[in-house]
Amino acid sequence: MNLSSKQSGASHEVLLVEDNLGDVRLTQEAFRNVAGALRLHVASDGVEALAFLKQEGVHADAPRPDLILLDLNLPKMDGREVLARIKADDGLKSIPTVILTTSDADTDIAESYRLQANCYLSKPVQLEAFEGLVKSINDFWLTKAKLPQNQVPS
Amino acid sequence: MDSHSGIRSRQELGSLANRTNGAVRPIPDELAGLDLVERYRELLMAAPDSMVVVDQGGEIVLLNDQAEKQFGYPRDALIGQKVTNIIPEGFAERLIADGLRSRQDALAQQIGAGIELVALRSDGSEFPIEIMLSPLESPDGILVTAAIRDISVRKAAEDELARTEERYRGLLEAAPDSMVVVDQGGEIVLLNAQAEKQFGYSRDELIGQKVTNIIPVGFAERLIADGTRTAAEALAQQIGTGIELLALRKDGSEFPIEIMLSPLDSPDGILVTAAIRDISVRKAAEDELARTEQRYRGLLEAAPDSMVVVNQAGEIVLLNAQAEKQFGYRRDALIGQKVTNIIPVGFAERIIADGLRSPQDALAQQIGTGIELLALRRDGSEFPIEIMLSPLDSPDGILVTAAIRDISVRKAAEVHLLEKNAELKLSNEELSQFANIASHDLQEPLRMVASYTQLLSRRYKGKLDADADEFIAFAVDGASRMQRLIQDLLAFSRVGTTGGEHGEVSSEHALNDALVNLRGAIEERDALVTHDPLPSVRADAMQLVQLFQNLVGNAIKYQGPGVPRVHVSAVRCGNRKWMFAVKDNGLGIDPQYFDRIFGMFQRLHKREEFSGTGIGLAICKKIVERHGGTISVESAPGEGTTFSFALKESR
Repeated sequence: MNLSSKQSGASHEVLLVEDNLGDVRLTQEAFRNVAGALRLHVASDGVEALAFLKQEGVHADAPRPDLILLDLNLPKMDGREVLARIKADDGLKSIPTVILTTSDADTDIAESYRLQANCYLSKPVQLEAFEGLVKSINDFWLTKAKLPQNQVPS
Repeated sequence: MDSHSGIRSRQELGSLANRTNGAVRPIPDELAGLDLVERYRELLMAAPDSMVVVDQGGEIVLLNDQAEKQFGYPRDALIGQKVTNIIPEGFAERLIADGLRSRQDALAQQIGAGIELVALRSDGSEFPIEIMLSPLESPDGILVTAAIRDISVRKAAEDELARTEERYRGLLEAAPDSMVVVDQGGEIVLLNAQAEKQFGYSRDELIGQKVTNIIPVGFAERLIADGTRTAAEALAQQIGTGIELLALRKDGSEFPIEIMLSPLDSPDGILVTAAIRDISVRKAAEDELARTEQRYRGLLEAAPDSMVVVNQAGEIVLLNAQAEKQFGYRRDALIGQKVTNIIPVGFAERIIADGLRSPQDALAQQIGTGIELLALRRDGSEFPIEIMLSPLDSPDGILVTAAIRDISVRKAAEVHLLEKNAELKLSNEELSQFANIASHDLQEPLRMVASYTQLLSRRYKGKLDADADEFIAFAVDGASRMQRLIQDLLAFSRVGTTGGEHGEVSSEHALNDALVNLRGAIEERDALVTHDPLPSVRADAMQLVQLFQNLVGNAIKYQGPGVPRVHVSAVRCGNRKWMFAVKDNGLGIDPQYFDRIFGMFQRLHKREEFSGTGIGLAICKKIVERHGGTISVESAPGEGTTFSFALKESR
């Protein structure tokens, strides 16, 4: 599949790790409404996400994302393990990683923060609420928050 | 010693001598022509005893060899001498007439009597004798023949016997019980002061009397030999046993006694000493006990349960017919046996004191409690029982009565119930889990359907034809209704799987939280929601918020065109409880639907009138019930509705 959605003049690189194509499209649509310059890259499982981040194989020239949106329930390698590996990697752990999932289970929330997720968000059921959430992500993480300067991963 | 001495009196001996010797006797005719002295001497010589013939002057005229030997003199040394030389006192005086009586009288008074005197040997030593006198007419007047017997041995025996008798009498008197000594003829020969007092006779009235006078039946018969046994056997059968008989007082009154017999060797044969104890008090107590026992046994047999009475040693002392049947033993096979034979574990241990507790404590710990144990039938099969213990005072200490009930059926039912309960719990858990998972997993694809139909609607409304707009609108509506349905189902299942931690919750805070969640609806309808001061209650906070939210939400929703008014109040009811009421001025509910509105998916209105899943009140009912209460409704169409429920006051 096409792993990244190229947008001309993008100033922000966002990696969305999501296996549900419907959610991928909804997220793209929602960002389209609120963000001017943003490149949304998609990895559809955990293994691919790590390959993208480490620029392995076909991802050799993948950019370092400014923000990672990570679903928990993923094929091959689930989101918790992806999170653990990102935060255990000195080159990757400074990238803000936001959990975006349908689960609102207390155990998932607690486990995610224990693994040093930067934020935990539940996907709202209603379209408008989901669009509002994506807007909030853009407003906070990509606009207000000061992020570390892009570094070449070691 | 001959058979006539001993306890028999000496007077009797004398009378016996009288019968033999008779009175003054003339010299037989056939001897008349012979030399008197010579003929008589021959007779004298043949006599076994010492014989001395004395004249009325007290001089010895004749004596035999035995006399020579006994007194230690040659015959010549004594003939013509005063008899006082060998019998210093008591003999000569009796022969010689004094001023008050003739010689005949003096002699008559003494003839035949066995007189005990002291004799003197030639060496000066003394020895006791008994003399028997008989007159002998002679030409020189009446001579007296004295048969002299050395009674040293007899005297010594008599003295010994007297001492023994004295000692025995002392023992008799010292005994606490009445003592009566009876010979083999059934005659009383001796008794003590206690016996006099007990029977009301003086000693003289009883000595020599038949013992049947005071113990009419059962004593004498035992002593006297009959055709089938000897006296010794008769006695041997009874010696030492405590025999219970009836005794008779002089006044004719009877009283129960216990006698203990012991044999006493005596010169007159075996005597029997009977120790007699008045057992009136004991008998009365025993009778009372027997009656009580009889009553108790009656109760035991009448009891519907098996009853087993056990002593402190853990031995069975009594049981009823039910117990025989239940355990499969005959009564005889269990009495005296250890109770562990029929209840191997858990019963005996409870009764028997160990180092840590007294028998009373051991017992007290168990009295009255229903203890479940295993019992063992004779055929080795086991069955579950429940025993109830109760103490029973007895002369032999505290006994324990165990009422034993076969609880096989109950146990089987319990096991069955537990199994069913576990099944039900599992099934409930599965159902709850299923509802939870299903509703959660259904949400995912539904979110896609809803989101994309909404996206379609937003982006293409008015750009396609009118049909497309309508179709899309139905799809959007269906999806969003399905979403609410799933959310409500999830909420309903969560009431069962979460919460239950009931803490102190301010119901006023809970209501306010609910009102915050309802803000949109309240503003939309311009609703007026009021409440009294509300108490703290024991509840799950989240569920209480949900409860208020559903009830107040309903109150605002099911309204006519006017301003919705909702009032929440709480009043004390009963013991530490509060009755809450959520009252509105809405459409009201026809009472015929009261039963239905709390059920799942129950709706009273068309979808076009009011949206809703029909789960809200079912959730309310479940929440209230999980708090140990009930929810009820009062309403009439057009009159508004009041929902009421009770919650426990917080401590």
